[in-house]
Amino acid sequence: MVFLTIANLVRVRGPDEFWRKRRIFRLAAHYIGRRRNCYSIAVRNVHRALVYATKARKLKKQDMIDLWNTRITAACEQHNITQFSLKEGLDRANIMLDRKSLSDLACWEPRTFECLAAVAKEKLQLDGFVNYADKKLPTGTELNLRDVMLEHWLKEEKH
Amino acid sequence: MSAAKRVQQWATFARTWHIFDCKWQDPYESANIIKKYLMGQHKPIYHPLNDCGDVVVCINSREIALRGDEWRKRAYFHHTGYPGGASWTLAWELHNKDPTMIIKKAVYRAMKGNLQRRHTMQRLFIYHEENVPEDIMKNVSSQIRQSRLVPTRLDHIPEEEVKQYPKVMDYPKDYVLK
Repeated sequence: MVFLTIANLVRVRGPDEFWRKRRIFRLAAHYIGRRRNCYSIAVRNVHRALVYATKARKLKKQDMIDLWNTRITAACEQHNITQFSLKEGLDRANIMLDRKSLSDLACWEPRTFECLAAVAKEKLQLDGFVNYADKKLPTGTELNLRDVMLEHWLKEEKH
Repeated sequence: MSAAKRVQQWATFARTWHIFDCKWQDPYESANIIKKYLMGQHKPIYHPLNDCGDVVVCINSREIALRGDEWRKRAYFHHTGYPGGASWTLAWELHNKDPTMIIKKAVYRAMKGNLQRRHTMQRLFIYHEENVPEDIMKNVSSQIRQSRLVPTRLDHIPEEEVKQYPKVMDYPKDYVLK
């Protein structure tokens, strides 16, 4: 091809048009109808799908955090402790579990979670930390704190 | 006991039947509580895709309490689909027509609008009085705690008890009680 103006030379996108289109068609392979067969329609939909995928990478993390929060709140309600005071108590007892691990324990090992809730409650009691939200709406059964034999361990200084 | 069976939890996905007494409760506040049980959000195994919701039986829905002057002010909208088919029904009118409707709509609105919502609503039973059919009542094994205390009305307290209650003062003889 002969280009008389330099502007047209800039617009040409190389000889590999087939492969460029094929790359888009590969991504549109699972679409239905003209969205997978016509390039001009396929490329629009592929671009939109890629934008969704980019946004969804953030949303997926947020969704997981929401799910963990729901599960931890549910487990906390069974033991008459709010999520806030559970976190506060565990932090003070130097048990650094994140929300993912806590929700996994709540889901798969409810007895372990119960012990953690008891530890948090006992630690807050030792520290004299009172959260009135805990007593406002009792939702579950009171934990039996007499079984928590961690007083010495909780009282010692943590670094 | 094998390692996998050590942490086995029996009847994890069993449906529990809860009962909720709507007497003197705010329907919109209690809808959030009922919703939690219907969707299974009170269980640590909750996932939006797993079917872990429970059944809730609401009783005494005739005796709900709306806030302030909401009985007179809150309007429920309905449209028949035809031109001029819009209608607005006040809360007290709706409650007179169907005493279960307000709590039903409150729970329906409290849930997010998705395909699951109508199926979740099927698990909600509402009765306007205390009498629940025997075949439903026999399943109930748990009670949901009310969010508000039910106050005792003065005319429901026995008269002797009222008379014996310590008084600050007696009314003067010439005082006219309204």
